[in-house]
Amino acid sequence: MSVYFAFARSAFLTQLAYRNEVWANMIGKLVQVFARVAIWVAIYGGSASIAGVSLEQMVTYALLGGAVTGAIRYESIVSGIGQALRTGDVAVWLLKPASFPLYVLATELGRAAFRFVILVVPTVAVVAAVYGMLPPASPFHGVMFVAFGLLAYTIIALLSALFGLVAFWLLTSFSLEWMMQAILNLLSGQLIPFWFFPAPLAVIAAHLPFAWIVYYPSAVWLGRLDVTATLAYFGLGLGWAALLAGGVALLWRKASTRIVVQGG
Amino acid sequence: MAQIIEARAVSKRFRQHRRFPGFFGALKTLVTAEYTEVEAVTDVSFAIAAGEAVGYLGPNGAGKSTMIKMMTGILVPSAGDVTVLGRVPHRERQANAREIGVVFGQRSQLWWDLPVRDSFELHREIYGIARPRFDENLKSLSRLLDLEPFLERAVRQLSLGQRMRAEIVMALLHDPKILFLDEPTIGLDVVAKDAVRKFLSRVNRERGTTIILTTHDLQDIEEICPRLIMVDHSRLIFDGETAKLRTALGSARRLMLEFAADPGPLELKSARLTSDDGLRKHYLLDRDDVSLVHVLDELGDTTTLKDIALEEPNIEEVIRTFYQRRNAELPLR
Repeated sequence: MSVYFAFARSAFLTQLAYRNEVWANMIGKLVQVFARVAIWVAIYGGSASIAGVSLEQMVTYALLGGAVTGAIRYESIVSGIGQALRTGDVAVWLLKPASFPLYVLATELGRAAFRFVILVVPTVAVVAAVYGMLPPASPFHGVMFVAFGLLAYTIIALLSALFGLVAFWLLTSFSLEWMMQAILNLLSGQLIPFWFFPAPLAVIAAHLPFAWIVYYPSAVWLGRLDVTATLAYFGLGLGWAALLAGGVALLWRKASTRIVVQGG
Repeated sequence: MAQIIEARAVSKRFRQHRRFPGFFGALKTLVTAEYTEVEAVTDVSFAIAAGEAVGYLGPNGAGKSTMIKMMTGILVPSAGDVTVLGRVPHRERQANAREIGVVFGQRSQLWWDLPVRDSFELHREIYGIARPRFDENLKSLSRLLDLEPFLERAVRQLSLGQRMRAEIVMALLHDPKILFLDEPTIGLDVVAKDAVRKFLSRVNRERGTTIILTTHDLQDIEEICPRLIMVDHSRLIFDGETAKLRTALGSARRLMLEFAADPGPLELKSARLTSDDGLRKHYLLDRDDVSLVHVLDELGDTTTLKDIALEEPNIEEVIRTFYQRRNAELPLR
């Protein structure tokens, strides 16, 4: 395990080498979060609440959603795995006593940790200072938010790895990145929370793995799920994570056997 | 000496999905499942003992890399079997990986964004190398290949020669018993090539690391490998001492004697007459132990002799003629 920790640490430190990029990203991120919050302020246009959700809750939701998806660059996992498979660079990894998918995930988690500390926390703090942000609904919900946040990273990382592996058969990772982005925008609740969705779509979306990336962490923070529901959905999220991990392992084995037998 | 690598009647066929040209061809490609078979390695057998340095030589597409990939466990042979250190490489790939080092001339194993030293540190983690051993290896190997000036520099800022030296050092940090190099000098300038060659033969001599090296640069082999395995069109065509290649391939030195006056037919015991133009006579020296002195000795009276030319075919020429002859015999494909 210490190997993968070393990968993550080295990825974290590598980010430090690109200081200009850090500043550019921070400004971009800030504009993005401000824009998202400004849209909600405009939509509310003075009314205290829409569909039982107050403006303050909505701003908090937008900030938290940005916090989770802002740190991870899922497209770099998709293209990282896709490219290594297509160019055959993965052969180099078959020669090492370490797992390639775990290496890619560890590396991206290291980078995500860096972005979380350097980008996400400051931008959320700045926007919260301007527009105000609600605290967690209760200490329980606060603690569970952290647990849901970690689960969100796990699920998004596994989903990206899955998409990246599919690229091996489709021979394109570019279109898959776009597809994944579109799916995430809609079905993670990043753009619009599920409570504004029409009923049947909301029910379906709330049970797909994408929902655990943005919707559930934020909903838990806001206290929209009671204790039982929070724990139940955490369990369900773990189930999705396990299923995705199984999928990644299976596809990886298929892809690497194919390389080994056919020569990629 | 124990055999540490054995290949017995190894073949490797690749199945390639047959593609049809043109737009309708592309549609046809989508729905058909026709395959063409390409044989990259055919019935190759050899055994390599611990401590040897073996050059694996052949033109592009002769199946060199395929053979290396089978020995390292990335590819599974279609027929025959390979054992490396008593294991079947593709079945125990990770156990095999711990005991071998691999350098691909065309693929980097270093981390692009990291300083060379950090890449080495990650390598230490992956292979679980004990700190004292790692430090010792790093120190001695980087001194030998003069890595110290750029150890702290990011890999993307290195020249090709520097990067290649770093790749080779990294492949040796975990004390592999066997070092596989797939075209390690490709694209390097003369100075860098020389440094790499000297280093490799030293590693082979002093650390006892077995070296298997593919290349199409003959000088690599002449300087590093006392033994040569040569392949062509997927088949093994020569396996033996590099120095004996010339005799084995049947190319002899050419001797030309020019006389002021025609001495008539002149048969010699030390050289074989191939053509006689009267004043000029051409011979072949088949045997290595026959020198010009023997020929002159046999001639005795050399007063009518005007000129002598002895042509030593270099190894490269020997191989080129060999390939050409072979290509002429084989049907085009």
